[in-house]
Amino acid sequence: MDKTRQITMIQIAAILVSTIIGVGVLPLPLFAVNALDSGAPLITLAAVLFGFISLLLLSLLGMRFPRQTIIQYSEQIIGKWPARAGSLLVIVFFAVLTSLTAREFGEVVVTSVLKNTPVEVTVIVMLLLATFSTRNDVTVFAYIHYFYFPLILFPALFIVALSLKNADALNLQPIWGNDPQGVIPGALTIAALFQGSFILTSVIPSMRRPQKALLASVVGMVIAGGLYVIIVAATVGVFGAEETKKLLWPTLELAKATSLPANVLERLDAAFLIVWVTAVFTTLLSSYFLTTQSLGLLFRLRDHKLFAFFLLPFVFVLAMLPQNIVQMYTIVRMVGRIGLILTLAYPALLLLVSILRKKRGEPVGEVAQR
Amino acid sequence: MAKLHSAKIIHLTCVMVLTLPILTGCWDRLEIEDRAVVLGVSIDKAPPESANQETEVAHVEGANPIPPEDMIRVAVQIAIPGRIPLGPGESGGGGGGGGGKSSAANTVWVLHVVGHSIDDALMNLQQQVASSLFFGHLRVIVISEEVAKKGLENINDYFRRNSEVRRMAWILVAKGEAMQFLTAAPKLERVPTLYLLSTLEEGFRMGKFPQDFIGMFWSNSSKKGQEGFLPYVELKKENNVEIAYFKGPKMVGSTSPLEIGAYMAIKGINPAGYRVIVQLNGAADTVITAATHRKARYSVRIAEGRPHFTIHIAFEQNVEEKYSEHIGIDNQEILSNIEKKQAQVAVEYFEQFIRKTQEAHSDIFGFGEYIRAKRPAFWNRNVKTKEKWQEMYKDAEFDVTVTMKIRRVGMKAR
Repeated sequence: MDKTRQITMIQIAAILVSTIIGVGVLPLPLFAVNALDSGAPLITLAAVLFGFISLLLLSLLGMRFPRQTIIQYSEQIIGKWPARAGSLLVIVFFAVLTSLTAREFGEVVVTSVLKNTPVEVTVIVMLLLATFSTRNDVTVFAYIHYFYFPLILFPALFIVALSLKNADALNLQPIWGNDPQGVIPGALTIAALFQGSFILTSVIPSMRRPQKALLASVVGMVIAGGLYVIIVAATVGVFGAEETKKLLWPTLELAKATSLPANVLERLDAAFLIVWVTAVFTTLLSSYFLTTQSLGLLFRLRDHKLFAFFLLPFVFVLAMLPQNIVQMYTIVRMVGRIGLILTLAYPALLLLVSILRKKRGEPVGEVAQR
Repeated sequence: MAKLHSAKIIHLTCVMVLTLPILTGCWDRLEIEDRAVVLGVSIDKAPPESANQETEVAHVEGANPIPPEDMIRVAVQIAIPGRIPLGPGESGGGGGGGGGKSSAANTVWVLHVVGHSIDDALMNLQQQVASSLFFGHLRVIVISEEVAKKGLENINDYFRRNSEVRRMAWILVAKGEAMQFLTAAPKLERVPTLYLLSTLEEGFRMGKFPQDFIGMFWSNSSKKGQEGFLPYVELKKENNVEIAYFKGPKMVGSTSPLEIGAYMAIKGINPAGYRVIVQLNGAADTVITAATHRKARYSVRIAEGRPHFTIHIAFEQNVEEKYSEHIGIDNQEILSNIEKKQAQVAVEYFEQFIRKTQEAHSDIFGFGEYIRAKRPAFWNRNVKTKEKWQEMYKDAEFDVTVTMKIRRVGMKAR
């Protein structure tokens, strides 16, 4: 029994789900209605399919090179130096993504809950949490996700189900929208919310059966994408597309407008924020883990723990760079779209070249049953 | 072994020290008695001489672009900690006064200021209150008719932006002065705003008034093919509720109480709770029926470039009362007669009510939304904007048909 290959298919799916569901759920319906008013669920679905392409490429690559992450097999495929340049881009991108996630989290908390707490404090606390947890190996990492996965998914579904009481089907019609404006950029912005799924490449080398990576990514994407579509449909169904356009974080507002039956709790935004903090933590953990692990592999280190604290100040400073919330969201959208090139085109290139050059990694034998 | 042990202790201490700041949360600590919990807010037009009373709080004197004529008077009702009775058994409530009037004065504190905008006024107010104003429990916002007719843009903006305000609060439009609703002393409830609130919520439960939280009003006014409406209240001996309908952010008219029933019927909102007098032949043949269930179906076709709606409304009714023994309610024929007569009256009444809103360009029913959803091709070609629909709504045609079904007659056989 290979001690380093312990992660199961279900755990991979859980990692993907809890990584994908993150800060993005709060502004998600706003992105969607801005693109295609009442057709918001449709465009979210399109974005899910689009986001799945990148995941598909990664799992195909991972199944071809079941013992390596993208940092390692890219060197085999396209040569040492081009691959190192590509890896560096990936690392920088995920460092930026980590910092933006932390900042977006901080902005929400400061705006809606802890109004007197400096944003620096909320950001650093969250980053510290992620840093400590990153200093574990990949198996523990998988267990952390596996543990939080039901705590994120089920309360979120529960809140959405309760909110449906106030929904009106007219708000979701026509399902293809009235006024398509900027459908493509909108879909890209939403697809960018799925970039965390890149974490798949880090965990495949520790999978018990890497052949199941594709199945895991399908399961993960169906759950996460399904939840996204449901959240958008519920928000637009309750508020209507025009009202949703006026809300900065429509999903939070949805929780605020939802009450437990018999008014046990008159507003669920506090409950929702608790779930959401967990979701943000797992997202941060994944992108930070990916950054540090890739950096470790790039420098051929045995272990990535060193970088966890080394990178922290850089990530923190990056997080503090946006001057205000409007600028932050401009940057988030921009970085997201640039990132799509990286998370989509780079694996596509690698897969194409590896097929053309007939490169393949060492296969992993079927692990014997316990 | 000992070395390992001390290393472990150091580790543990480090972890504890590092997690300590995470476990706290003191930055935003605000004790409950340091909060001024606002239960209700009222907004009136400020009396003309008020510009002189104002001090420099949120703006420099003379630098405010909003003219003094547009100033508003904002009153807040603050709960006094410890005085709010928590349950029905707690009859003293701390003050112990006992009389209706004094108890309202004991539980809440109403104070008012003038200002150029909501936030400006509230800052003027904060200047007078020691503890910080907290809007998390705000239940009712009362706005005077005069302010509502001018438009609610500023008010909507402030309360939408404020993260403490819940979407399940209510906005009311008051006939006359809004502030009196915060000071009035109802008999049934110790806190005036809570009484106001229960009037509305019970109204909803009895089928007298549609649910219309602040969030619903916002959503409806935002929609392109719909306008918002608000409860329109008058302080008589007790509260009287009607509907104030809006065009965009401005109030454009109000209904009679029975027209709320018409509104709810056209929207098919349940439970139904209106009673109507039906006259068959003469005064002696008068009966009163109570609606128990409503159902509405729409269809729309486009004729000559304007929408033509067909609305079918079905009621279930009970007979509640008759005026004399002149007729006996004991056969199918008389029931059919009542049904027919009432349906006939209802059709006229509903059409008349729709016409009234059409004249005000205020589609509170959301017929425009129906077109947007079901006839997107027509909508995209001919309407597209809210303003365009406000124009077109006036020219829309409506066919109303009503089916009445009397199901029960109460405990009397005849």
